[in-house]
Amino acid sequence: MTDMKIQIILAGIGGQGILFSSKIFSELGLKLGLDVMGSETHGMSQRGGSVIAHLKLGEFQSPVIRTGTADILYSFEENETYRTLRFLKRGGLCFVNLQDPGRFDPKVLDYLKKSGVTFRSFDASGAAAKIGSIMSTNIVLIGYSVGTGLVPFKQKDLKNILESVSQKKNLEINLKAFEIGVREGKLLKNPD
Amino acid sequence: MGNVAIARGIIEAGCHVVTSYPGTPSSEIIPAVVQFKKELDLNTYIEWSANEKVAFDNALAASLTGKRAAVAMKQVGLNVASDSLMSSAYTGVIGGMVIISCDDPGPLSSQTEQDSRFFAMFAKVPVYDPSTPQEAKEMVKDAFELSEKYQIPVILRPTIKVSHAKQSVKISPVQMLDRQADFKKDPDRWAATPKYRFVLHKKLNETLKKIQEKFEKDSRWNYEVGTSRDVPLGIITCSVSFVTLLDILQELHLEKAINVLKIGTPYPFPQKRVSEFIERHKTVLVIEETDSVIESQIIDKRRVKGRLSGDIPLQGELSPDKIYEILAGVLKKLGIADLKEAGDRKLHQLIEGLDIHVRRPTLCAGCPERAAFFAIKRALPKAIYSSDIGCYTLGLNMKAVDTVLDMGAGITFASGFYHAYRQDEKDIPIVATMGDSTFFHSGTSSLLSAVYNDARFILVILDNEITAMTGMQPTPGLGIRADGSEGKKVSIEELIKGCGVKWVKTIDPYDVQNLIKLLKEAGKYTQRNDGGIAAIVARHPCLIRYPDAWKEHPVKVEITADCDGCQYCLDYFECPALYLSEEKDRVEIDRNFCVDCGVCIHACPKAAIVPLEK
Repeated sequence: MTDMKIQIILAGIGGQGILFSSKIFSELGLKLGLDVMGSETHGMSQRGGSVIAHLKLGEFQSPVIRTGTADILYSFEENETYRTLRFLKRGGLCFVNLQDPGRFDPKVLDYLKKSGVTFRSFDASGAAAKIGSIMSTNIVLIGYSVGTGLVPFKQKDLKNILESVSQKKNLEINLKAFEIGVREGKLLKNPD
Repeated sequence: MGNVAIARGIIEAGCHVVTSYPGTPSSEIIPAVVQFKKELDLNTYIEWSANEKVAFDNALAASLTGKRAAVAMKQVGLNVASDSLMSSAYTGVIGGMVIISCDDPGPLSSQTEQDSRFFAMFAKVPVYDPSTPQEAKEMVKDAFELSEKYQIPVILRPTIKVSHAKQSVKISPVQMLDRQADFKKDPDRWAATPKYRFVLHKKLNETLKKIQEKFEKDSRWNYEVGTSRDVPLGIITCSVSFVTLLDILQELHLEKAINVLKIGTPYPFPQKRVSEFIERHKTVLVIEETDSVIESQIIDKRRVKGRLSGDIPLQGELSPDKIYEILAGVLKKLGIADLKEAGDRKLHQLIEGLDIHVRRPTLCAGCPERAAFFAIKRALPKAIYSSDIGCYTLGLNMKAVDTVLDMGAGITFASGFYHAYRQDEKDIPIVATMGDSTFFHSGTSSLLSAVYNDARFILVILDNEITAMTGMQPTPGLGIRADGSEGKKVSIEELIKGCGVKWVKTIDPYDVQNLIKLLKEAGKYTQRNDGGIAAIVARHPCLIRYPDAWKEHPVKVEITADCDGCQYCLDYFECPALYLSEEKDRVEIDRNFCVDCGVCIHACPKAAIVPLEK
């Protein structure tokens, strides 16, 4: 496990909990005994503009991810997905929050498929809104990725981390959001 | 985070006094120092000062009593503190004094890309340039030692990608330095006249020479990676570019094909070390941010390629992609390797073709500053709008901001515009907007000078009772200090009156109609013979900081069938909770964003935004 090297991009807009998501994966890295590096946007861009976090687990020197080298992309907003797809390597994984999965550009989808990228979209905002917490979109999508079994993270590990990093008042809803995400992800894995 | 690591370094060094004025990318340092102080039950004195010069002088005075002191700011903050910095290089310090000036290549959140290492050269003080959070922490401690040993202030210059980088950092024990304040009078040094200043300057030059010799031999911050013989290419680099380069070389398996010299102390410059490295290589590439501090100090530049030689752009952040591109170009030229193109051109073309709408930063839904700007545009549509640095710079989107220069220029520009027009016997309406924290930072000297010279304009202080843009730091107006304890409140109204302004009114900007009336009244006052500057304090708390503030009197609104999709509200009110529904061709409310402030009722010329019937 300790020679694992994973580069993750988290993208969205201000207020979508990008920094909190980055914290979740940082804690996961530490728990797995990996070095953690990364970088985040702050300041001006947090006022509803694009926010992007880079996270590198394992032996890296630099906190920034180069185009075409990321293993996983989590995008919480459609347009930010287009803007950050370039970070993904060939054969990378992509989890996108899309209210209407049919709307994503078919040419881009087709090209990603050819590049060996696994693209999974899911209405995480919708699922979060259903439990009355649109703010938990990020956690739903992370749960979803775990449910699909495509990412090398354990459900139990992430749940423990959520328990330790969530603010008390948000803990219950975060766990619920995570479980819903996992369930939806699993459904996709076993579509029957 | 890098800034937390820096804070830890300050604490581990046993620093007694820490001061700052917030500014991206430095703002997280003080809160982290406060947290360590509380966790470790230390007696550290911590303050948010009114501006960077005030912060600098407070720290310096503490150093003069023998204590260790640190002051943190963003790079443009050092401009404000530069008067003190220049002079303190001559007088020197007693207790270690470290200045943390966070640079912003890009720039991502600043008005310039200036390089604080040049400021160190200009002021003649040593500078450390960390590549990672871990190194930043260790450098802070070393900087304190150096400062104390040579009695000179020392700068630490992290770039934004160090300050905001995440890294697991190894912590060390905290050094406990029991020092009682003991200021030893020495007017020749601390209150030197020009004659002694010459003596001090000579002494400073001698000190710098000693430090340069030390940096020549230093191998902790200046070292080589890869010591292959007979490789044609050497790279001299620093800050985050260094670690970015290491990752790229490893990824491409080029570690053995290129030698790298990392420079962590660019001033005083380890000249011999660098010359010796250059001599061993046919070509030397200098990769540094933001400006060309290392490259310009190299004496013989014949083999050197960098920003000055035109091989690297003179501006902008050196992202991993940029460094890859630069490297690919040089490697191809030298025949060492032919790297494939970075990125995926086909994907890029596909996405370019989509014409994606890029979200620009906007004021939050329910932001009181939006209400104020809307009223200003309504009341005085033809005015010149001079504004300032803060969230309210985003009034640009509403076309209610014409100028943003630096901290305080909202008022000085208003005064300057007035006199330039007045000279031609023209009276034009001018509205200056400035936030509360910015007014405390540098508004008062601008304002009293404008009063004294009888300038005429309307000043609107956008008082949201917090320094919002940089992450909710308290202001003198709030009266809460850096560690959360209670300080003394400073009244903005009294301050304005103290500057000599006679016409001062306070209003809640949510009361849009009355604010419009008040602005018109203010405009008339500025034109009266016996008039003057008219000041309005538009006070309503920031909704991010005080999320309950709007819940007290929620005004839920709806959009009626009268909406004809004219988009006036989108263009001139620009609330993120309002959007054009393409299917219905009219404006709708996004309830995920809407905070029920009800201000948009005033923003519809067709009166189609109305309170929701209960």
